[in-house]
Amino acid sequence: MSIVNPSFIEEMSRFTEFNAYACINCGSCTALCPMGIDLLPRRMFRHVMLGLEDKVLENTENIFSCLLCKMCEENCPKDVPIVDNIKSIRWYINREIFKLGRN
Amino acid sequence: MSDKRRIGVYVCHCGGNISDYVDVEKVRDAVKDDQDVVISKNVMFACSDATQQEMIEDIEKEKLDGLVVASCSPMLHLQTFKAVAQRANLNQYQYTQVNLREQCSWTHRDNMEKATEKGIKLVRAGIARTRLTEPLVNIRIETKPKTLVIGGGVSGLRAALALADLGLAVFIVEKEYEVGGWTKKWGKMFPNNKIGSETINTLREQIRQHEAITLFTGAELIKKEGSVGDFAVKIKLVNHEIISFDVGAIIVATGFDSYEPFDGEYGYGLNGVVTLPQFKEMVDKSNGSLNLNGSRVKNLAYIYCVGSRQPEDGDLENPNLYCSRYCCSAAVHTASCVADVDPGINQYHLYRDMRTYGKYEVMFEDAGNKKSLFVRFDGEALPEVKESDDSLIVKVNDMLDGGEEIEIGVDLVVLVTGMVPRKNENLTNILKIPIGLDGFYNEIHPKLRPVETVVAGIFIAGSSQGPKTLAESVISSLSAASKSAGLLMKGYVDLEPFIAEVNTDKCIWCGECEKSCPYGAIEKVFCDTKEVATVISALCKGGGVCIPDCPEDAIELKGYSDNQIKSMIDALMKEVV
Repeated sequence: MSIVNPSFIEEMSRFTEFNAYACINCGSCTALCPMGIDLLPRRMFRHVMLGLEDKVLENTENIFSCLLCKMCEENCPKDVPIVDNIKSIRWYINREIFKLGRN
Repeated sequence: MSDKRRIGVYVCHCGGNISDYVDVEKVRDAVKDDQDVVISKNVMFACSDATQQEMIEDIEKEKLDGLVVASCSPMLHLQTFKAVAQRANLNQYQYTQVNLREQCSWTHRDNMEKATEKGIKLVRAGIARTRLTEPLVNIRIETKPKTLVIGGGVSGLRAALALADLGLAVFIVEKEYEVGGWTKKWGKMFPNNKIGSETINTLREQIRQHEAITLFTGAELIKKEGSVGDFAVKIKLVNHEIISFDVGAIIVATGFDSYEPFDGEYGYGLNGVVTLPQFKEMVDKSNGSLNLNGSRVKNLAYIYCVGSRQPEDGDLENPNLYCSRYCCSAAVHTASCVADVDPGINQYHLYRDMRTYGKYEVMFEDAGNKKSLFVRFDGEALPEVKESDDSLIVKVNDMLDGGEEIEIGVDLVVLVTGMVPRKNENLTNILKIPIGLDGFYNEIHPKLRPVETVVAGIFIAGSSQGPKTLAESVISSLSAASKSAGLLMKGYVDLEPFIAEVNTDKCIWCGECEKSCPYGAIEKVFCDTKEVATVISALCKGGGVCIPDCPEDAIELKGYSDNQIKSMIDALMKEVV
């Protein structure tokens, strides 16, 4: 059971805007990922949009395994800015887990 | 009956369709010496031009007064061979089609011997019937160039305008005091954001200016008699006055009702749980922000498929199995309108399948771009709505996140309700048009005759036939208008002469037939010295229910007389040697 938190995404967007609303959950991104990370980016973005903070934070390893190669973004049929979104999540994790970049 | 008849019999091979399983030569040999058969032939394709021509020559040369073709189903070629008879100056009702293909060869491929035996019996029965045929003439009815449109919603109004533009008179009967139906109540409507009430105002103004259209509001149809081309209708007006007039066709455009959730269905009845039409009204009236009970709505959830696609094996007595078609599109469009009013509102869409079909797909994308979030649930695990301190909690398993159970706290839950058939029992009984399993009015053929009903001259338009968007309703109403105009502008209709006939010598006027006739086609008249029954030919449908009810056996159905039926049974029972 997870509680949806609508304001989480606003917090996430304080670095750069997080936007994955155009995602149609086709899974191209996951299929194309050279790192074979099965969680990123589709489901991770879903966790952010639903505000499931715990799910985001417990995937810190996965999020930092991303090469930012843009294979997914280049092939996204809905032009979701995947790399920018991942940067947003990294910024958030840096702040929350590694206590970096706080003012 | 003892008169000598001259009958021609043609037994078709159908290029093997019949002759592979029925020995057609043997069938012909078995009947060639039957009483009154003067010519009998085997033909490869009875329907071919050459064979049709051969039949015409035979009829003329042999002076035939009866024709039997043993071939396929009458559904396929009855009209073909009726036309052959007519071209040879033989009355078309002295032709009998014997179904040797669908009802014999195709059904009994496993047993050629028995199939042949059955074929012989069927052809004999056809000959027996033909022997007792009389020349009959169609009943021609002059059509009244006027149409009655029942229902003054967008479908009814648009159909009325189309007919009036063709120069035909139209009467619109609307039971409410104002025209416009659902459309009048709504603001921005998809796909072009035109305001519903403005659409209706435009139509109403055009109708006001049209002399050919008479509009009755607060009125209802209370009686309908007659048949295609010439119906007599009675309308009860708003002041309880009853008026009567004749029309040639009737268009039923009575629309739909919105599904009313039962108490507790997804929390219906709780403060903040509303149906889509109720929500639509809130959005239409909102000005700068969306409010519920005076406080601003911040989070809201839509639950889709409420009242549609209900499980067949669930607890519901009469589940709506169909998809209501318009609701997905209407809900995502409404969500876009909400985002335009207040972009800060978080909107969660809990859906089973997103059916924003065709061009409406762009509205789904638009809603996503305006930050609506879509959560898919499984039909087996429906969302739950419960009340918490000062808000509502929606619980759902998100199929797009591996079935993760999530809880969303919201101020408002919108139940995306579908369309249900309008309860119009009185009207249905008056018009005697059939209702489908889903409760909507039934068309004759879903693909090829989508606006005609089994009652000739009565058409169905708009969402009275099934769930439709506004645009689809108008398409269907214009289709009904053109079918209606096609009927009326020809000026006449020919009806088959298979109607009841009273033998006045036998009739004792007991009134049983009058009681049994559902069409009111029997009336009492004086004949010589006594009262007898007579049949009003324009009203009789040839249903035949009066015949077994007559204690004196005084009624016959033309074309299907007792003697004909008995002789056919005798022929079918006769042993094949």
